Amino acid sequence: MTLTTFKLNLGPQHPSTHGVLRLLLELDGEKILSCEPDVGYLHRGMEKMAEKLSYIQYLPLVDRIDYLAGFFYSELLCRIVEKALNVELSDKVRVIRVILLELNRIASHLLWIGAFLMDLGATSPFFYAFREREMILNYFEKLTGQRMMYNYFVFGGVRKDIEFLEDIQNIISILPQKLNDYEKIITENPIFKRRCINKGVLEKNVALDYSITGVNLRASGVDFDLRKNDYLYKGFDFSSVVLEGKDAWSRYKARILEIKESIKIISQALDYLSKNEKLEQKLINPINLKLDNGEYYQEIEAPRGIASCYVKSVGEDKPYRLKWRTGSYYSVNLLRKLLVGEYLNDAIAIAGSLDIILPEVDK
Amino acid sequence: MNINEFINIFNDSELVDNKIVIKSKLYEAVEFVKNNYSYDILKEIIAIDNEDFGIELIYHLYTTVDEEDLFLSITVQNEIVSIVDLFPSAQADENEIYDLFGINFIGNKNLKRLYMPEDWEGFPLRKDYVQDETRLAWNDSDNV
Repeated sequence: MTLTTFKLNLGPQHPSTHGVLRLLLELDGEKILSCEPDVGYLHRGMEKMAEKLSYIQYLPLVDRIDYLAGFFYSELLCRIVEKALNVELSDKVRVIRVILLELNRIASHLLWIGAFLMDLGATSPFFYAFREREMILNYFEKLTGQRMMYNYFVFGGVRKDIEFLEDIQNIISILPQKLNDYEKIITENPIFKRRCINKGVLEKNVALDYSITGVNLRASGVDFDLRKNDYLYKGFDFSSVVLEGKDAWSRYKARILEIKESIKIISQALDYLSKNEKLEQKLINPINLKLDNGEYYQEIEAPRGIASCYVKSVGEDKPYRLKWRTGSYYSVNLLRKLLVGEYLNDAIAIAGSLDIILPEVDK
Repeated sequence: MNINEFINIFNDSELVDNKIVIKSKLYEAVEFVKNNYSYDILKEIIAIDNEDFGIELIYHLYTTVDEEDLFLSITVQNEIVSIVDLFPSAQADENEIYDLFGINFIGNKNLKRLYMPEDWEGFPLRKDYVQDETRLAWNDSDNV
């Protein structure tokens, strides 16, 4: 180390690290020479707990893996159990789950837009994004009784039939106008553009090597969206957003466009629900629930990349081993590469643009 | 990918359920599928403690070209070669497994305790890990 280089701790209490991420940066002046992420401040032992609890006892916990997109993780655990017991979901259950997952995805992306702009020093968009997110959270509260940890999906279906459809209709009719406002205020803003365009360029092969998935990968030009092959989304007409820009601005733009796609999916689902079919579901009795010997695997397109769940069962009422894959964990690992050679003031923008959420990293 | 061709080349491997179980030459196998079958994403590494049989590592690879998954499984005792230079994302998985299972990845110089404190004894996800009251911080009255 020469005299001009020094080490700087970014976090773990820094507000722009979205929780408790600590980055150990080696700097030469303002230029970053190396980055060493340090995680684990929020570790709750999710995988260890799974080995001690029965499936139904564990189900309310999994929402907390990613508290901004809780539905996705309950969906994963439910799907594992349904797969193991060969339970097919009826169309109506599928549609209800799709609506809630997509609303959750919108809420998660909205929070990201607000927080990302806050990282860049723009305070007002934070309040705009939270205003829109509030509508969705209020709806979730009305339906499930919870704003963030829903515990609404159960093995074999949903806890109760979906209600208050006019609220969803209201949300998806308001959102497009608000997104247009964002485009006017944020997307074409010259200061925002200058701070994002060509910053944190993520080449396609680097993204693949670092196991980056989800929006971040699609903003680097790879068309990889699990929803296209997911039976939950069968019959829905939507396209996955693929952009070629590779920089922080593309990742922002991709999320805006993805919200629009989600709105499309939700309006198709609402059309289906307007037929007023009766809710038919074969709920699994969780009291004596035991999975057969074997390994079960399920993955899903979560807002922050692919999330997956692996369960090995030896025929008991608890998993023998349960493992989660979360998208953010790999995004944090990518910072080792992506921040090198950038300036310190861009580091926040680049780390923010990857949409890292720490409870998901630490599990 | 052509599984028979793979099994011919790595002749101690076999197909069990939907995963390929190999006995040795993990690095060569991953390098082979990466170069020949364009497996370009290492989605994750899953570790399972099978008690007497050792610790099983499942390497989950994916190709965006042919859109196929591949599960490569190998059983280890305490150490295994690192594949960080083939897939940098393995750094994340290997560090996690090092922390929670105590497997040493030879060739990875960046391993450290991740979730657990640096002086923590034992590896929580191993089946022989004892979780008793002495582990609780508020029981540690001598050190206060």
